[in-house]
Amino acid sequence: MTKLASVYKTDYVQALDQHSQTNLNSSWVNDKGAWMTNIILICFLKFMFGIIPGITSELSWTLTTLTYNIGSYIMFHAVTGVPFEFTQGAYDGITLWEQIDGGVQFTATRKYLTTVPIVLFLLSTHYTHYAPFAFFVNLVATVINLIAKLPAMHQVRLFDINQKVEGTTD
Amino acid sequence: MDNLLISAINSTLATVVRGVQVVPGSAIAIDYIKNSYQNDPFRVVLELGLAIYAVKYMLSKKYRIDQNPVQLTEKEIDELVAEWQPEALVQPLSDIQRMELEKTQVIVGAQGLKPKVLSTGKNLLNFASLNYLGYITNEDIKKKAIETLHKYGVGSCGPPGFYGTLDVHIDLEKDIARYLGTESAIIYAQGFSTIASVISAFSKRGDIIVVDDGSNFAILKGTQISRSNIKWFKHNDMADLERVLESIRLETLAHKKRPLTRRFIVTEGLFQNYGDIAPLDKIMELKHKYKYRVILDESNSFGLLGKTGRGLTEMYNIPAKDVDMIVGSMANTLSAAGGFCAGSKEVVEHQRLSGQAFVFSASIPAMLAVCASEAIKILGTKQGEKLLKGLQDNAAVFRNVMLGASQWIEMSSVAGSPILHLRFPNSALVGLGVRTRDEERMLLQEIVDEVASKNGVLITRAKYVESQELHLPRPSIRISICAMHTKAEVEKTAQAIKAAFGKVMSSRK
Repeated sequence: MTKLASVYKTDYVQALDQHSQTNLNSSWVNDKGAWMTNIILICFLKFMFGIIPGITSELSWTLTTLTYNIGSYIMFHAVTGVPFEFTQGAYDGITLWEQIDGGVQFTATRKYLTTVPIVLFLLSTHYTHYAPFAFFVNLVATVINLIAKLPAMHQVRLFDINQKVEGTTD
Repeated sequence: MDNLLISAINSTLATVVRGVQVVPGSAIAIDYIKNSYQNDPFRVVLELGLAIYAVKYMLSKKYRIDQNPVQLTEKEIDELVAEWQPEALVQPLSDIQRMELEKTQVIVGAQGLKPKVLSTGKNLLNFASLNYLGYITNEDIKKKAIETLHKYGVGSCGPPGFYGTLDVHIDLEKDIARYLGTESAIIYAQGFSTIASVISAFSKRGDIIVVDDGSNFAILKGTQISRSNIKWFKHNDMADLERVLESIRLETLAHKKRPLTRRFIVTEGLFQNYGDIAPLDKIMELKHKYKYRVILDESNSFGLLGKTGRGLTEMYNIPAKDVDMIVGSMANTLSAAGGFCAGSKEVVEHQRLSGQAFVFSASIPAMLAVCASEAIKILGTKQGEKLLKGLQDNAAVFRNVMLGASQWIEMSSVAGSPILHLRFPNSALVGLGVRTRDEERMLLQEIVDEVASKNGVLITRAKYVESQELHLPRPSIRISICAMHTKAEVEKTAQAIKAAFGKVMSSRK
């Protein structure tokens, strides 16, 4: 029973700390305003890339997809922890995507945030008139972003990205 | 026959197309699909795959990923349920608990050198309160406190960050910083929570704290709530401290990829549970060698140790600025309330937003802050020096008597310490046939009762939250010397306690 107890113990201290207060670092993604902002940002990106003199429609769409995917990857999957908190680092080494809704999978926000890059990809390939290079770049960016969002990748670390520091308690 | 089939298919298709066209927006979708084809079926498959994935994701049910780390089978659950015995809501009292309830002295009226106790109605000579310099009964301080009470009222009614900060709080912070010789200081509302708050303000998950295992309960709780990696070294054993630091260094070398963590050595100035003193010079040496920060709890040594009572740093002739955080209590020597942390400006300012006990507690009442300020002022004068001298002398008198009875009484306190822990020597316990901790506590209580009833002296056993302590010290009687007692009183008390030890021992033989 001691082994069971120790499993419970470590989990419960961390879980207790995580749920001792609202995680303001991730709770905002559930706001309806945040959903709308996502769309507005994409439109803004497309607009800004579109007004660069002499830019082709292909390039501006590719840049939009690329910027959105890289930006959201950094925000949701690269940066870990919580910047301002009183829980002694209960979210250390946990990405924003893993913090959303306390780690529950397939919530409305997760569905929304997964669908947006797919729709954006389909739109951009369409408007880039299926230029092979643009298609390839967009596809890679989108697929990497989608893989990081898979439930199977929850707290899984590949290629030492965001590797957690193991505790050294005796 | 063939024609019939083709026309049937055609008409069905036409109906479907017409049906689709009725749906608003379908023209765009049809257009999109027509455009997508581009003579590349592979691409269509890819896009279709993505679209199907999106739909599948949308339709999935939500679930918790970490719901239950331990999966139990039905059989195991049944077994656990069958095993479970409900505990009584109120446990019957154990012998030791009953003794604790019956024998605890209750003081009636004001605290002082000779307070009146409820059980007998007599005034007992107080050797139990942490009133080292007799500030509790100091008339000057009392007068100041009453003046402040008239000016500010009782409570400050708010946390320091909002509207709980008064001029007297800022004055006290400056007084403490000036007295210790640090850049800055911050005051907390409660002595106990100060060290816990300071430790957890700086040390978080993944950081390393190296702690003396003889540290008091507040330090233990502080290290626990900080969620850091805690390493213990043997009480005041510098060789063991070096061993621990070296092992951490080697471990860090072995894992080069690990990010740098914050590291702290936490120890106490004058140990509340043992009455001995941390070897600060050696600790500072190790701190510089292994690059650690030192958090020093001077709750008991502040105002006592050193020539003018500036604590351990003065005693070892180390500038207070070299110790990263000096934490102290104003509830012990200064007979006020609350605690403080002195250090560099950065260390102090960080706590104004990150020290939880500072942020989330109301600040201390103005009159207690003034009391503490006054008490520090006295420490710097001739009167203060006289008090410290008197305290040292009284402690020496008491100690000398105890040393004369080393076959009955074991003492972990060092010379000059006003906290004296008196224990039965292990050899004597074996001779008496005392085996359990409870029996030992009972025996000590007999001594406490004996001294109270026969000699009119109030002393107490050292008490711990035993279920929560990690390194529980052996049971003891804790004597607190006060500078205001006369030498004759101290001598008489010491002799009485010595005699009581002897009597209890012989009665058991």
